[in-house]
Amino acid sequence: MKQILLITDGCSNVGASPILAAAHALQEGITVNVAGVVDYGTIGELGGLEIAEIAKAGGGISRIVGTRQLAQTMQMMTRKTVVQTIQQAVNKELKEILGHDSLEELPPSQRSKVVTVVDELTETTPLQVALLIDASASMKPKLAAVEDAIRDLMLSLQARMGTSELAVFHYPSRGSSEDAVLDLNWTSDLSSLRSLFQRIQMKGATPTGPAILKVIDFFRYGTLDGHQSWRQNAEEGEGMLGDYVV
Amino acid sequence: MTTSSNPAYPAGTIITGKWRKSRFVIRRVLGQGANGIVYLVQKAGYRGLYALKMGYDTLDLQSEINVLTSLQSQRKSQDLLKENVKSPFLLEVDDFKDRNKDIPFYVMRYIEGSALHLFIRKRGSEWIGLTGLRLLEKLRGLHQMGFVFGDLKPENVLVSEYGRVELIDYGGVSTIGRSVKQFTEWYDRGYWNAGSRTGDEAYDLFAFAILMIQLLDEQALKEAAKQQLPQTRNTAELLSLIQRKTSLKPYSSWLRKAVLGEFANSQQALMMWKEQIYAPAIVGKLPGKTPRWLKSAFAFSIVILCFAVCLAFFL
Ligand SMILES: Nc1ncnc2c1ncn2[C@@H]1O[C@H](COP(=O)(O)OP(=O)(O)OP(=O)(O)O)[C@@H](O)[C@H]1O
Repeated sequence: MKQILLITDGCSNVGASPILAAAHALQEGITVNVAGVVDYGTIGELGGLEIAEIAKAGGGISRIVGTRQLAQTMQMMTRKTVVQTIQQAVNKELKEILGHDSLEELPPSQRSKVVTVVDELTETTPLQVALLIDASASMKPKLAAVEDAIRDLMLSLQARMGTSELAVFHYPSRGSSEDAVLDLNWTSDLSSLRSLFQRIQMKGATPTGPAILKVIDFFRYGTLDGHQSWRQNAEEGEGMLGDYVV
Repeated sequence: MTTSSNPAYPAGTIITGKWRKSRFVIRRVLGQGANGIVYLVQKAGYRGLYALKMGYDTLDLQSEINVLTSLQSQRKSQDLLKENVKSPFLLEVDDFKDRNKDIPFYVMRYIEGSALHLFIRKRGSEWIGLTGLRLLEKLRGLHQMGFVFGDLKPENVLVSEYGRVELIDYGGVSTIGRSVKQFTEWYDRGYWNAGSRTGDEAYDLFAFAILMIQLLDEQALKEAAKQQLPQTRNTAELLSLIQRKTSLKPYSSWLRKAVLGEFANSQQALMMWKEQIYAPAIVGKLPGKTPRWLKSAFAFSIVILCFAVCLAFFL
């Protein structure tokens, strides 16, 4: 299962539409969640709207929070999205096996069995989360909190039974050659998360759309600028239910 | 999915189960949390009171119900051995057909009491030893059935009159060895960089230790928590607190072990807690000196004794 978690504090202003980019991600089987971080004032009507739209297009969840609640919110979004994705796959099977559309329609005794399966898969399905950090100038005072939240997320993911990996990107890059910079390649090692953003130089522009497209490429090819090392990730969660519910 | 801003149903509303057709009359709201609203209800036609939890999310609530069912069936087989069948915690699971949608709910035993921290605030910290013991017994019970409680905090511990303890909110319960589903900052071992978020007995014991420190000296715990940056936060501050504060002294060796994750299991932790609270150091310090009436009664009996001795001497 693949997710992008975008952390930003405002509107994109350069390049391709981030909403279209998120729709592309979903098409590739990658869910996009968005955390809007604001400590003082609001994120602005436009920014708030864009954040919600990106998540909708990417099949994920969006939340606007202060840095204090960021860690908790990121975990909630990640977990909820995992459950949601599994539930969608399971619902599809429910329809095939039992002719029911959703969990809600099942009598409680059968519901219990289905939820046991969903819980099991939530815990064991392999998971990759790419964190995409908006490093435009206004985000600077929030980066320390972002880094803590990432560590905290890693700690929670490590506790899962299924393998869980994080990768971290920020955008824009210093030069104009890249739309997103890889800070940390796929890892499940907490200690590798130390002082992630020390060398980041903040810039004003916010090319959210192009950055998302870059990360989709990374999921595809395992690199930001080539077509090597294709990562095979079998579709998890499907075909499992039949064994449990009949 | 509904949100927590949904208004609660007023008193008098009748909740009829879609599947089993039982009817419950709402008396009032007992509480509201992240996963649902809990009402005090009366089963129509009966006198008994129950707590009814309506969930915001069918899947989350069912997950909680699964834990309760599994606990119940294990408990039943244990209790049958001891021939001591208690009234069950989980009574009924059903859906309520509201105007526009079905709302899942379950009915459980109503626990009359107050949250642990409120109970201690009201009755005094000398109750900590006993309520702590009973809470540890609850945790040990869960652990022996293969579960960890996870989200242990004072709000999830209800204490009834005379210190009987019940855990509520099983939404955070997970199987031992699985990731902890729900936790709260202070009580979370991960928050203190003191270990993983994989559910094991030590996870609950850590949370229990923080909970006890909070009850004994909340101010000190607050300071320890905010003293450090998240990435450097560690248990050193907690350990020094346990060493330093006189309020924590009676429990210090137990707390230290729990914070360091040194208990082999909760059974061992329970035994040591018992030893600790019944050690002379604490019992001797139990408040209330010898009551005046006892002293005068004692003096009086001495007088009588002397009198009797004298009498015996003269006779
Ligand atoms: N069996 C019960 N008897 C009496 N009161 C109860 C009972 N169960 C729950 N309550 C009350 O309802 C409140 C909310 O219940 P609960 O904690 O189960 O909800 P929740 O949505 O899971 O909360 P949280 O946000 O803590 O996870 C409790 O704090 C308590 O006051």
